[in-house]
This record gives sequence, C-alpha cells and structure tokens, in this order.
Amino acid sequence: MISDAPRPHSEPPAAVHPDSDRGPGRCALLFMLGSGVLWLVVAGVLALISSIQLHSPEFLAEYAWLTHGRAQALAETAFVYGWIGNCGLALALWVLCRLAGEPLRASRWAGTGALFWNLGLAIGLAGIAAGGATAIPMLELPRYVQPLLFAAYAAVALAGVAAWTGRRREVMFASHWYAVAALFLFPWLFSVSQVMLLWFPVRGVLQAVVAGWFAQGLWTLWIAPLALAGAYYVVPRVAGRVLPAYNTAALGFWCLLLLGGWTGGRHLIGGPAPAWIATVAIGAAVVLLFHYIVVLVNLSPGFSGGGTSLKFISFGVLAYALGGLLDAIMSVRGVAVLTQFTQLDEAQRQFALHGAATMMLFGTLYFALPRIAGRSWASRGLVRSHFAVYSIGILLLAACLAAAGWVQGWALNDPKTAFADIAEQTRGWLLGATAAQGLLLFADILLAVNFFRTLACAPDSGEGEESP
Amino acid sequence: MKNGSLFFFGLVAAFGLSWAGIVIGSNAQLGRLAPFYDDSESASFPARLPGSAAAGQLVYRDLGCASCHTQQVRRPGFGSDVDRGWGDRQSVARDYIYQPYVQLGWSRTGPDLTNIAGRKPSAPDAGDLMRLLYGGQGAMPAYSFLFEDREVVGQVSDDALKLTGRLEPAPGRQIVPTDRARELVDYLLSLNTTYDYPEAHPAPAGNAAPEAHPAAVKPAAGEVRK
Repeated sequence: MISDAPRPHSEPPAAVHPDSDRGPGRCALLFMLGSGVLWLVVAGVLALISSIQLHSPEFLAEYAWLTHGRAQALAETAFVYGWIGNCGLALALWVLCRLAGEPLRASRWAGTGALFWNLGLAIGLAGIAAGGATAIPMLELPRYVQPLLFAAYAAVALAGVAAWTGRRREVMFASHWYAVAALFLFPWLFSVSQVMLLWFPVRGVLQAVVAGWFAQGLWTLWIAPLALAGAYYVVPRVAGRVLPAYNTAALGFWCLLLLGGWTGGRHLIGGPAPAWIATVAIGAAVVLLFHYIVVLVNLSPGFSGGGTSLKFISFGVLAYALGGLLDAIMSVRGVAVLTQFTQLDEAQRQFALHGAATMMLFGTLYFALPRIAGRSWASRGLVRSHFAVYSIGILLLAACLAAAGWVQGWALNDPKTAFADIAEQTRGWLLGATAAQGLLLFADILLAVNFFRTLACAPDSGEGEESP
Repeated sequence: MKNGSLFFFGLVAAFGLSWAGIVIGSNAQLGRLAPFYDDSESASFPARLPGSAAAGQLVYRDLGCASCHTQQVRRPGFGSDVDRGWGDRQSVARDYIYQPYVQLGWSRTGPDLTNIAGRKPSAPDAGDLMRLLYGGQGAMPAYSFLFEDREVVGQVSDDALKLTGRLEPAPGRQIVPTDRARELVDYLLSLNTTYDYPEAHPAPAGNAAPEAHPAAVKPAAGEVRK
C-alpha cells in the first residue's frame, strides 16, 4: 500500500494536517521532485554510456564531450546534484513541514532557489561536457556555476529553516535532526571545499586531503542524512510501531556527525598524504559501525512489511548498514591494498548511492507524493515493477563491479600481469555491470512515467480507481 | 533533544571539529612545505612545471584522465607499485607542491603516471605518447579529437605522427597533433619523480613503516624557503 491512511503514529505525535501541503509550497515541492526524477533518468543514460566505455573503449570515443572521464563526471554530477539535490532536499523540506504541522513557508524562496539550482546545474553539466570539469570527485561542476548553486541552495534551505524554527513544539525528532543537519552542513562543506580547491587552491597534496574530506562528508553529512530523515519519518508511521531503540537514536546521530567528516582519508591510504589522516579515517570508519547498528535496529519495524514505501526503505536501510560494514572493512590497510583503486571501491560507492540512499528516497517519495499532490500514484503495477527492476539492478551492479574489482585487485598486485590482460579478465564482469546499469535506467524510466502520469491525473480524494 | 539552539551549536561544533582536524591540521603540517635544495646538484627539487606542461595539466583535468589513472606510487611492500616500475620510491607530499591541480586519482583502470617520464629502463617519448593518444590501446580509448587529419601540402609536416598498420593515414593525408595534444604530452613528459628526497625512505626497505612519517616532512637542513 502506498497511500495508506494516516495511522496512529508512534514516533512523534505531530499533527498531520491532511491539507498541510495544499498551499503555494506544493508547486515548489512538485517542481523539485519532478526535476529530480528527470535528472535521475539523465544520470542513468550517462552512467550507462560510461559503463559501456569501460569494456568497449571505442564507444563514443570520437566525441570529446562524451569521452570516458567526462561521461563519468556528468553521470555522477547529474545523480548527486540533480537527483539527490532536488528530490532529497524536497523530501527533507516536506518532512520538516509535516513535523511542524504547517504548510511550507517561504515557498517563493524555495521555488526560485530550485529554479536557479536546476538552471545552474544544466549550465554546469554543459560546462563539464565542454571541458570545464574540475576532476574532483563529487565536485566536478566548473567553478563558475558553483557560487550560483550555493546561492540557489541557500534560498531553498531558507524554507527549511523557516519550517524548523516555526515548529509548534519545542521537541525535535530523529527526522528533524537528520533533515536539519543535512540542510545546514551542505552549504558549509560546499563553500569551504570550493574556496579551498577551486578559488584559492591549497598546495599540493592538501588538495587531495580536502577533496577526500569533501567527498566523504557529502555522503555522510548530506546524502545519508537526507535519506535517513525520510526513513525515520515514514517507518514509524507506516509500520504503526514505536521505534525499538529510540533512546539510542540520538547517540547514533551524533556519532555520525562527529565521525562522518573524519572518514574522508580512507581513500588516501598508502599515498603521499600524511599517514595519520588515513589512520584516523580507519578508526572513524570502524567506530561509525555503531551508527549503522542504531539505524538498523531503529528502522527494523519496516522489515515486517506493510506497503511499497516500507519495502523500498527497508531495502535501503539494509543496504545502508551493509555498506557501512563494507566501508569499515575496506578501509583497513590489509584489505585496502587489494581494493584500493579498483572497481571494488566503485561497487561500494554505487551500492551506497543507489542501494542505500536512493532506495530510501524512493520509499519516502512513494509515501510523500500522494500527500503533496493530493492524488494517488497512477499505477500500482509500475510501482511494483520499479521496485523489482531497481533492486535486481543494484544488486547485479554491486555484484558485478565487486567481482571485477576482486579480479582487478589481485591482478594489479601481481606485477607480471599486464593491463591488457586485466582488461580481458574483467571484461565479462564489466559487461554484467553494463546490463545492470541498463536495468537501473529502465527502472528510473518506470518511475518517471508513473510520476508524471500521476501529476497529469485529476486530483482525487484518495479513492482513485487504481489507488491502493 | 529539546533545545533548538543547543542542537544547532552541537551541529556546528561536531562538524567544525572534523574540518579543523583534517583540513586545518594537515594544512598546518604541510601547507608550508618547501622545495628541497640539493647542494651537490646546485638545484632545488621538485622543478616547476614549464608553461606548456601547466597548460597540459588542464587538458588532463578536463578530459578526466584521473578517472582511470592515478598519480601516486605507494610504498614498496604496499601493492605492486614499485615492482611494476612506476617509480623507484614512494610518492611524497613534496612531489606535488608545484602542481597547480593535483591529480592523485582514484582508479587504476590504466597504469599509474606519477613518473611516466622517468621510468626505467625505457620511458616513453613524445612520439610514443602521441601514438598512444591517437590510437588508444587495450582499455584506453583513442583521443582522435586531439588530432587533425590534414591533407599533405608540399612536404609532410614535421609534427605529423609516424603511424603504421591500422592507424596509417590515407595516402596524401597526415595526422597532426593539435595544441591541446602537444600540451598534454608536454605535461606527461614533465611527470618525473626520479629525484630521491630524504623523506621518501622513512624506514629501511621491507619494513612496513607508516608512509610519509610526520617527522620526515619537517624542513630538512639546507633547504630553501620560498
């Protein structure tokens, strides 16, 4: 069931006003969600191209704007800033409004900000294709659009701040913490990193240190919290149960905040950066397991089923915990010597971004859209196939990349294996990864079709023909 | 958690701690790292990038070469970097102080390029690199858009690539590198880390000591300050 009637909710007894979304804020939220879904499809196409190029390097090689390095940067940017930047942010705003029991305030700011965010992103992607990429993971956008994106983000976040400060009750819930943390920490991460890497670059290896801190911080302090804000909001409502270890939830949250930024050095193991950075990162990644356990236990009521939203979120939560465990294992030096610089790293990253964060966002989206748009999803069949195709796709992608990385890691550590042989040995797995990217793209298209068909439908009162 | 401002303060403090620790901490340690002056050679290392090589680094950056190539040699015993001939020693922070945009990289679909111009026994020359870029090899795509296919007017250009086999141009045609290709090759040929810094051997070889021991990056005697 997707648009289940509000149940006795267990986490916060916050008021759920059936009409709380019908204000002018609705347009802003729907615009962000729609653009996010479109960017997701764009990112899927680009990821497919970049995946094909890994085993068939001649694919589109004659076009400078789609050469492998650029295709990869484009795919990553469209995914992180387009999909998560729009959809994750919109859902966090929506959660904050719901918890405040108020419609979205400062919605003009949010709408204008979202417009410029997408405009800036489109210019930035064109810039990357034209040769403006920065070659910094997760921060590939050319520096000339970054201040615009920063300002646009601030305008959108203003609505979140208004919802947070205007809440009717002083008490804050877990979804509050994560949503507010994500809203506030992104501008800091983003501005510090762009100043230190692009406007006034620090010297030498420090660039790699700052870049590592940014990339990991973006994941632990922005993407993951955005996803968790939605999950912590939806699970207790749909499952109709109290979170089993809610009193540890705060500890889990502060654990992530304190340690998340320190794990960035784990990609610098063995390199020219000071060794203590990698050592601290390994320690932080291990202690961070506590956070993953807390999240897993608290969101476990979702595992017992109860609708599509919960299926997506539970998949995401399991993937999130598993991803955290893999992250800790792969950061240990003895393992990193095998996995570093291979497709295993990529497998872990893709699993976190697609399997964990995106799955949780999907779940929240399926729960939220009927409440924002005032109509149920156009097709339940499409929702079910979306879940099936996407989960098969991400499991296949992670498995194939991991297998390719395993082969690649051993081969790289054997100095006698030539690179041509490594390419030959991993080719089969990389073909599998391309098939998986195709599945993910297909699933994204299913979501987009369903999303826009839903918006095209007339508003219903929650009892549409196909509504669950 | 009931107090909004306390929560916000905690947020800022928790995050600020990692920023101060990692970013400010490493900056304090390495931010003033100076080149190493070698009395016996009357020269300081590393050398600055020549102009065309610095332009070439921008080409390297905008094509996203770092998505398949790293520029960091890990210490002997940690991976096969040294055994593969990518360098005689591990990379140290001082190697990068004159690189405007450091390209450590994150993936090794292709070989490491830290020391591509200083490889032993034989490093590739400009012609080799041009041919590799034009034709691609193994998992590396061909970057044919960095070259022009021109008609031969009069004599064949001095810069024309010497190609054989499947890459050979049609009769009366020649393949000439564009400025971007030349800059990129100049950059690749500037990647040479054969000079041995004292901190590159923090411990006897074979001993699994921490790479780049903090003490090793302290200014050594005889060093020039910028």
